[in-house]
Amino acid sequence: MLLILGRRALSAIPILFVVSLLLFVALRVLPVDPAAMSMPPSATLAEIDAMRSQMGLDRPLLEQYGIWLGQAAHGDFGQSLHLRRPVLRLVADTLPATIELAVAAMLVASVLGVGGGLLLFTLRGRRSELVVETGTTVLMSVPEFLWALLFIFVFGVLLHALPFTGRLDASLPRPDKTGFLLLDAILVGRADVLWSALAHLVLPAVALGLAFAPPIMRVLRSSLLDVYHDDYIRQARLRGLSEGRILWRHALKNAALPMLTLMGVQFGFLFGGSLLIEVIYSYPGLGNLMVDAVRNADLPIIQIVGLTYCVLVLAINTLVDALYVVLNPKLRGR
Amino acid sequence: MILHAESLNVCMGDVPVLRNVDLSLAAGQVLGLVGESGAGKSMIGRVIARMLPAAFAVTGGSLTFDGANLLAMPAERHRALLGRDIAFIPQEPLTALNPVLTIGHQFNEHLKRLGIPHRREAALTALGSVHLRDPAGLLSRYPHQLSGGMCQRVLIAMAFAAKPRLVIADEPTTALDVTTEARIMDVMVELQRAHGTAVLFITHNLRLAARICDDIAVLYSGAVVERGVARDVLAHPAHPYTRCLQLADPPLTGPRRALYALPENMPGLREAMRTKGCRFAPRCLIAVEDCRRIDPPLGPRAACLRTEFTSGIATPIAEAAKPEIGTSAVLEVSGLAKRFATGGLFRRAAFVAVRDADFVVRDGEFVAVVGESGSGKSTLGRLLVGLETPTAGRIMLGGQDVTWPSEAARRHRVATVQMVFQDPQSALNPRRRVADIVTQAMEARGAGHAARRSRARELLAEIGLPEEAAERTPQQLSGGQKQRVNIARALCSLPRLLIADEIVSGLDVSVQAQLLILLARLRTEHRFALLLISHDLAVVRHLCDRVLVMRAGEIVEQGDVGDVFANPQHEYTRELLAAASA
Repeated sequence: MLLILGRRALSAIPILFVVSLLLFVALRVLPVDPAAMSMPPSATLAEIDAMRSQMGLDRPLLEQYGIWLGQAAHGDFGQSLHLRRPVLRLVADTLPATIELAVAAMLVASVLGVGGGLLLFTLRGRRSELVVETGTTVLMSVPEFLWALLFIFVFGVLLHALPFTGRLDASLPRPDKTGFLLLDAILVGRADVLWSALAHLVLPAVALGLAFAPPIMRVLRSSLLDVYHDDYIRQARLRGLSEGRILWRHALKNAALPMLTLMGVQFGFLFGGSLLIEVIYSYPGLGNLMVDAVRNADLPIIQIVGLTYCVLVLAINTLVDALYVVLNPKLRGR
Repeated sequence: MILHAESLNVCMGDVPVLRNVDLSLAAGQVLGLVGESGAGKSMIGRVIARMLPAAFAVTGGSLTFDGANLLAMPAERHRALLGRDIAFIPQEPLTALNPVLTIGHQFNEHLKRLGIPHRREAALTALGSVHLRDPAGLLSRYPHQLSGGMCQRVLIAMAFAAKPRLVIADEPTTALDVTTEARIMDVMVELQRAHGTAVLFITHNLRLAARICDDIAVLYSGAVVERGVARDVLAHPAHPYTRCLQLADPPLTGPRRALYALPENMPGLREAMRTKGCRFAPRCLIAVEDCRRIDPPLGPRAACLRTEFTSGIATPIAEAAKPEIGTSAVLEVSGLAKRFATGGLFRRAAFVAVRDADFVVRDGEFVAVVGESGSGKSTLGRLLVGLETPTAGRIMLGGQDVTWPSEAARRHRVATVQMVFQDPQSALNPRRRVADIVTQAMEARGAGHAARRSRARELLAEIGLPEEAAERTPQQLSGGQKQRVNIARALCSLPRLLIADEIVSGLDVSVQAQLLILLARLRTEHRFALLLISHDLAVVRHLCDRVLVMRAGEIVEQGDVGDVFANPQHEYTRELLAAASA
């Protein structure tokens, strides 16, 4: 088990190298001049040139990458050109918000997906199956940003039921301990903060989660259908076990395996999807940081945010692999 | 009567599947239900379990368990019987246990439902009663860590744990090799006697049924055509179908005789519905005009108008003249070994699948490799066709060294040796037409469409398939037809050596006889050598000239089939023969 995790962590290193190189080259090839961007508009060409060589931008690309890599190894990923702060600090400030959102959305997607999958499965062969299936198709064909806008309109503007900007009421103090707002609120024991944070999280998390639920439903349904053709289900019935027990104790654990793979892949996509949602809900996370950086051609930020996404996806994959081993005894030592 | 069926009828839509089936099984008795695939024998188990496939329904008759109406009782009461009073032993032990739960977990769940106290002790006792070693260690293991035989023992232990009054065993040993089969049957009979359980034993193997059953009922096309005391049915079959089944099955002892292959196949359900008179008449050797008009009712023994002529059906005892065997070797294997590395990053271990194999196959010679599962016989076959690379030794094919993979070796190998795989279902691409499948070997040579078509026609004629089969896909063929196509594909470019891995296991005896006769005929026509990997000693004895006996990767005995079977030298060979003839 630990061996598998360790092996996965080791194999992540070359992947990170490749991704960082790709990011670096792609960003340098872009027709953007960081030197010019970092100078006041009144700067002369000579001043910009001086800045360029001071920043090392006139050296060969590979050498630039080497320098960047050397600094990165010491934990220095550079300064934001626009915000004039270390980019690592910026990521550390915004990442918890995004993780909170993504985990909440994944929770929503899992609950809806598993519930819907079970519902679809129990309705198999009945006429009502068609109704539910059409429903999931509608769910699936609406993109998350449309849900986001719809929710703002209905719950925010029309009903005034839920807040739809930021992470917390402006009147409340922001506890600053881990950056994870829900956790911090519990740590400082402020129920009002926790409540407000939750209220702010509901709409973006549901909008994001809703888009990811239907594939989970479908995969769970179809793998349950497959599993029910297997001999051990028939044998369990022949032993006189109840249908409920067969579903929960025998079929679900087997059917969960393909679903888990899908959820791992989706969790990666979810971080990408959070970008739009964060912008729509003015949610101060990694996505908003990224969008601002792109707008300002703030290359160091773009670079580290890209790398952060890469690390996140690799971490999730490793986690899913580990879970897979826990659930599937065939993958444990022979 | 524990189980009693009276004119039970099951239909699929308006097509009859079971017709007026009468069965009675008394407490403590074993009733064998014998028939080929499609005869409806498994349908009776499904009716008892109330697990008929969609569109199937009981349309008449009665079925009682200990006097209670199994067809009409409420679902809850029926479910309460399952596992407790009526237990089932499945056909495929490896897939009948949940792969993600330990044996202990599944046993515990079963015992808990039965309300048995001290479940751990009860499970250990039950596992001990089927002679499984280390029952305590077994509880924490998963099904994939056990062999098929061990899984079946676990399932038998579970079935008998409730001390049921009726056990339904549907082909419980079909998926197992001969030695395991014998041991599993012993275990089942032992428990059956100890508990006085009634057993409904469903099988396609008449010999096996006769060995353990008190009574036998033979099913053909959904109806019982013969019933009686097991010994009598085997010694003096009254229905021509039973007699033909017997003649299709090669004997393990006595003189080698020709096999009788029933023509065609058992009629499909719809086709049978249109048949007037006796449904066996179209395939029957002794049918007369009356047989085609009158559907004979089941008499005291058989449903046949001409039982007195049945014993006259026979096959020639005289051994068919064996085609001559060449003197040159098509395959020479010396010191061949294969080791597989197992274990993780830090615990390296090696599993020796084949060690020090030395043997020769001469031109035109049929050689068998026998041994139980895990003896390395399939690995040997895979080494010979180049699907595995040996760890040591030498393989000479037609005088050329093909031990190590190279382009020249590959070409030579492809031209000299072809393989027929065990499972035609997965060996044939379901998306291609039969004509394309059988001429696959010509594809690589870039043969033209017309040449391939005409070769396909020839091949189909040789394997006895109608010409229009060329345009069908494998799904449209029966199991026996698929295996014929599988053989035709290997024969397409007339290899000097054919390697066949268990090509008749899992087929009905009549289909097996058809294939064995086909192979013998093709041999005289084309003169190729055959290496037959099989666990069925009777088949080996019938078809082959020489036999290699493998155990744990090693060839422990080899020699002429007649000599080895009559006078086995190695203890293991004796064990195998004893298991097969028990």
